[in-house]
Amino acid sequence: MTDQPAVNVRGASMVFNAGTPGQVDALSEVDVIVDPGEFVSLIGPSGCGKSTLLRLIANLIEPTSGSVEVNGKSAKQACADQDYGMAFQQSGLFDWRSVAKNIELPLELKGWDKAKRAARSQEMLDLVKLSDRGAHMPWQLSGGQQQRIAIARALASHPPLLLMDEPFGALDEMTREHMQAELLQICEVTNTTVVFVTHSIPEAVYLSDRVVVMSAGPGRITDVIDVGLGKNRDEGTRENDSFYKKITEVREALRGAELGDGARGIEDR
Amino acid sequence: MSTAIRRFGRAAWPPLAFGVGFLAIWELLVRVFDIQPFVLPAPTAIWSAFTVRFSEVFDQTLVTGTNALVGLLIGTFMGVVMSLITVRFRLLEELVTPLAVALNAVPIVVIVPVLNNMLFGTTSQVPRRLMVALIVFFVVFVNVSKGLRQVSATHLELMRSYAASSSAILLKVRVPNALGYLFTSLRISAPLAVITAFVAEYFGGVQNGLATGVRSSLNGSKDVTWAYVIGASALGLTFYMISVGLERLQRGKQPADQFT
Repeated sequence: MTDQPAVNVRGASMVFNAGTPGQVDALSEVDVIVDPGEFVSLIGPSGCGKSTLLRLIANLIEPTSGSVEVNGKSAKQACADQDYGMAFQQSGLFDWRSVAKNIELPLELKGWDKAKRAARSQEMLDLVKLSDRGAHMPWQLSGGQQQRIAIARALASHPPLLLMDEPFGALDEMTREHMQAELLQICEVTNTTVVFVTHSIPEAVYLSDRVVVMSAGPGRITDVIDVGLGKNRDEGTRENDSFYKKITEVREALRGAELGDGARGIEDR
Repeated sequence: MSTAIRRFGRAAWPPLAFGVGFLAIWELLVRVFDIQPFVLPAPTAIWSAFTVRFSEVFDQTLVTGTNALVGLLIGTFMGVVMSLITVRFRLLEELVTPLAVALNAVPIVVIVPVLNNMLFGTTSQVPRRLMVALIVFFVVFVNVSKGLRQVSATHLELMRSYAASSSAILLKVRVPNALGYLFTSLRISAPLAVITAFVAEYFGGVQNGLATGVRSSLNGSKDVTWAYVIGASALGLTFYMISVGLERLQRGKQPADQFT
């Protein structure tokens, strides 16, 4: 597209409840650059500010200081232009809308006409391999299927960037691995840049080109690890020696950053 | 379909058997102990009074029913409108909510005679309808306000990530979320509307309606009184069943675990 970075965070700090006894330094002087087409995971213990960082990029909150740019624009402008889609731990589907209508919601807000919306939602359903579920209600789907619909919705308007906050955190292990493979395929097909928040080391390694390791108190980036497993990852990748090596590397980076103590809340699976 | 009928039959026979048995014992007791009709009339006597005076009972039921319905509609409308306004403008919420609570705490007994004597005279149904509207308003206002506010945090973040305006959030998230609350509040307030319309008649005003019928027949044989009670029960049941039906209809679109 352009040679602009997809995400460019410079010196971003975030302080909640500033000046009160409850002051929280959620993020301190964070720099992150994500290139177009890259898959970057943010990993770290609870309270390290990884979700806060994601919300800064999404312009759901504004940094206390520093700047956040998405596709060379301010985060605010990028939000207004719908340059990204979002998926959360809860699928966040609307129970009163059919699956297809859920996918169409961002398009509705953008003012697309009905026929175009319907065509796109079917296209997205095909992409997430739930072609015949458009007329179902969300609660008729399994947790994994709901999360796939949430991804389809996030990508419905073909945003160049996908922001995900532990989207597979509530799924069982088998479904989770399956969804990870699917997500990689989908991103490959749609050429989407992803910033992915997770608790799970194997998940971060399996999915990412780069893993950003963060630690708490105040939230900051302590390490960035190039995964270098190549683009074509499959189930075999999980049994690869280099996969295990990277898992160990990320784990040690997390331990090193926290000196044993703060690494609670990290899933070692 | 036949299984549905069978299931209904299985669910319906215990209360039906109980009802029939209860009436039979009642009839028996009245006959065996020769209880006088101005104390307790037999079910058969009540039924014959009801059929003889059907058109009269029906007319009075219509009067009370209309009061309840008009009040219910006005109260619901006002409740929905006010909750929409207060969710949009925070300042108004702080103003209206305590006022609504205070208003609801005023006993109906006090207001109806006041309205009758001072504002509308004794030839108007308006005070009765206002009372119903007031009671219904509170139930609807509190519940719908809750529904408009208690939306999931994920939904809100999602909408904000779409750069959705607050009216878009209201329309696409808050209002659909509040629909279930609206129908629940209707299920609560529909029977309440009938009771209020009924009770309001005890405190003066026009000489018609079911409660007026009950009151004026109390001196004579009680079978007429009981005929009006049949009308009142039928009216309350009708309101309740319509509101339950509406709620079922709306909940058909919701996940099963939200049924209570």
